Amino acid sequence: MEIGGLLLYLMALVTMGGIYAVMALGLNLNWGMTGLFNVGIAGFFAVGAYTSALLTTPPMLARSGADVGGLGLPIPLGWIVAPLLAAAVAWVVGRICLRLRSDYLAIATIGIAEILRLVALNEQKLTGGPFGIKSIPRPFETMDRPWGEIALMALVALLVFATYLFMERARNSPWGRVMRAIRDNETAAGAMGKDVEAFRLQAFVIGSAFMGLGGALTAHYLKVLTPEASEPLYATFLVWVMLIVGGSGNNKGAVLGALLIWLLWTASELVTGALPTEWGVRIAYVKMFLVGLLLVVVLQVFPQGLLPERPPKLAGEKAAGA
Amino acid sequence: MIEFINNYVIPGLVLGSIYALGAIGVSMIYSILRFAHFAHGDLMTLGAYIAFAVVVAFGWPPVAAMPLALVGTVGASLAIDRYAYRPFRKSRPIVVVIASFGVALMIRAAIMLIWGVQPEPYVEGINPPLESFEPFRIQEKHIVIVVVTVVLVTALHLLLTRTKIGKAMRAMSDDADLARVTGIGTERVIAWTWVVGAVLAAAAGILTGIDTLLKPYMGWDLLLPIFAAAILGGLGRPYGAILGGLVLGVIQELSSYPLLSDEPFISPGYKIGIAFAILVVMLIWRPQGLLRGRVL
Amino acid sequence: MLSAERLVGGYGGADILKGVSIRLDPGEIVVIVGPNGAGKSTVMKAVFGLVTLREGTVTFDGAEISGLPTEQRVRRGLAYVPQERNVFVSLSVHENLEMGGFVRKTIPQAVFDRIYALFPVLAEKRKQPAGELSGGQRQMLAVGRALMVEPKVLLLDEPTAGLSPRAMDEIFACIKAINAQGVGILMVEQNARQALGLAHRGYVLATGENRYTDTGAALLANREVAESFLGGGH
Repeated sequence: MEIGGLLLYLMALVTMGGIYAVMALGLNLNWGMTGLFNVGIAGFFAVGAYTSALLTTPPMLARSGADVGGLGLPIPLGWIVAPLLAAAVAWVVGRICLRLRSDYLAIATIGIAEILRLVALNEQKLTGGPFGIKSIPRPFETMDRPWGEIALMALVALLVFATYLFMERARNSPWGRVMRAIRDNETAAGAMGKDVEAFRLQAFVIGSAFMGLGGALTAHYLKVLTPEASEPLYATFLVWVMLIVGGSGNNKGAVLGALLIWLLWTASELVTGALPTEWGVRIAYVKMFLVGLLLVVVLQVFPQGLLPERPPKLAGEKAAGA
Repeated sequence: MIEFINNYVIPGLVLGSIYALGAIGVSMIYSILRFAHFAHGDLMTLGAYIAFAVVVAFGWPPVAAMPLALVGTVGASLAIDRYAYRPFRKSRPIVVVIASFGVALMIRAAIMLIWGVQPEPYVEGINPPLESFEPFRIQEKHIVIVVVTVVLVTALHLLLTRTKIGKAMRAMSDDADLARVTGIGTERVIAWTWVVGAVLAAAAGILTGIDTLLKPYMGWDLLLPIFAAAILGGLGRPYGAILGGLVLGVIQELSSYPLLSDEPFISPGYKIGIAFAILVVMLIWRPQGLLRGRVL
Repeated sequence: MLSAERLVGGYGGADILKGVSIRLDPGEIVVIVGPNGAGKSTVMKAVFGLVTLREGTVTFDGAEISGLPTEQRVRRGLAYVPQERNVFVSLSVHENLEMGGFVRKTIPQAVFDRIYALFPVLAEKRKQPAGELSGGQRQMLAVGRALMVEPKVLLLDEPTAGLSPRAMDEIFACIKAINAQGVGILMVEQNARQALGLAHRGYVLATGENRYTDTGAALLANREVAESFLGGGH
């Protein structure tokens, strides 16, 4: 592959990997820091993606009934409203579901995500149904290659960095300590007088907001949004694998896991290019198999992931340079 | 009235039978192994496709392929427990749930690799003619589905009430710690739980394939409705799961009844959403199921 | 027959047992008493294999069983009756007994007959779910369940907890009868006075250690023991 192509590939890798990193960081807030078993990522992803797409796509001339247009508002607005709406949905979901035990919470969150996806699939007038929304604007798309791609990659990297800082701040704050206490021993935390339900809801809502942001970013990056984009394999399980492999409870781990898994996921594209087409399709199934295998194996061999959680230093230790 | 039964009740009972078979397995696995088995739908798919392989290889009708397919699925299921779930017996329950997600993906991917993604019928060509039991319109395949379900459920009842291992399963479902203290071999009970779960799942998958078509996602698509049925009946109660399955199947079919106007009450695209909605509602409102009291 | 030597261990972090030793000779009734938190139930659980031991050994019938899983201990003739949740509530009385005999290849009818003879009320209710039994009847069922393996030693964890005085007397009478058939009994009891009256020997534990060991009668007569440790119970 010549240099130009390789560079474009690498930039795509970092861009999409970065978007996944944002979602993995959100999941880390839910699961790694607070112990909430949210398997409905795909639902919040979809909410964020469709919201941003509908707000920013230019209004369509209704040529055929299948095309859906949007409001044509500026992209940043989409990226702000999308996580807010995802947060609002998460707030409703969390209010009713969070007191469920973990495996029940898993079933409930999957159920709700599937309901949301069903709506996306069926409400043709709103979401374009199975055909989805096309011509979603992408930032910097008017710029020449490769500057547009570079700019977008830089923007995503900036967002990842900002999210990481936010999550680290949260983790090291008193708020973060309460979350960890709730995760490790809920009854003890409750006995200390902390409003456990309120804290868990906050973690759930904020984490899901970032998943909504990830959905919005994906929609704009790919410029096309169909219900397939929020298929649980890509939108939920891949993110879970990224967090488990990278190290749950650890924000660096979340980012590392996202980039690493995405690298492995897309590296197979290079291989596919060299193979006859029917093999190319099969590679997709091999990848799915490997994702499953990773989930089973990593939990047994590296239960902590690549970067295990390290509790943040206490103030005294920091001062002493320990 | 006749039309009502033909168009809604009979399909509801047929669908409900399939849900029931899947739900019993999920329910028992939950009560004995203490986790929600997210790979159960894909076990159903596995059973269906193993039967397909037998049908293609020997030209038998799908029902005749059942015994081999059941055996194959049981074998796979025991191997899965040995390598993917047993390592986590002493871990937090969530970990084995995540592992089951992984297993689900692996089974589905393997099926797609081996058989591809094209929907396939068991038998090519002309469908068997519609049987008529005037005035009810019942197809031969519907009879097969209900009969197989009744046979399996009866066999399960006999297992649970007449055999030592069946009673041990009920004991372990009741109180796993006491079972251990009593000297009941817990790994043996677990193995038999997988046998029961796999047999019922494979049967459900094959029956679905007989009713419609074989698709790699057929089991995964049924997973949430099956959880809904199991929860409706109360987790840990095999007989409750049967009731839950039948109730859910009938409700789901009834949902497209033109209640208020000429249009179906719930549009067909959302029909599956009924199961999701019931699932979520049950989890939030009454996770112990609809039935009262400790009836096994 | 059964001996536990210098057991040290607990449920994970802190050690509840700090070097306890207990001995039971064939055919004896041995009672363990002491204040709450003394480690009485923990000793029994350790003997049965339900608690991890950091130090110490458990010997039964001449062989060391310290590392064996509970299923193996049951097979060798050691049966345990927990204090709470000691019957399968959704199984019938008869099925509960059947489960007690799980480790046996077949259960001769004579074994059932003996249990039903010992506890006639269970015979009446043999087809009823155990969840419908009263507290005293459940206790009998729990003991009966343990007897299904025809054990050499029976471990009883507070068999009279929560029972009416009449039910208590019945249970103690049953325990005597079982012992008369040659079964060794190791019993933890809060109703210390009555239990010691029954016992051949007793151990008084406090804070995870042995305090007093003597015959049942001698412990009852010991003023220090009576004042400090036999307060609880009727």
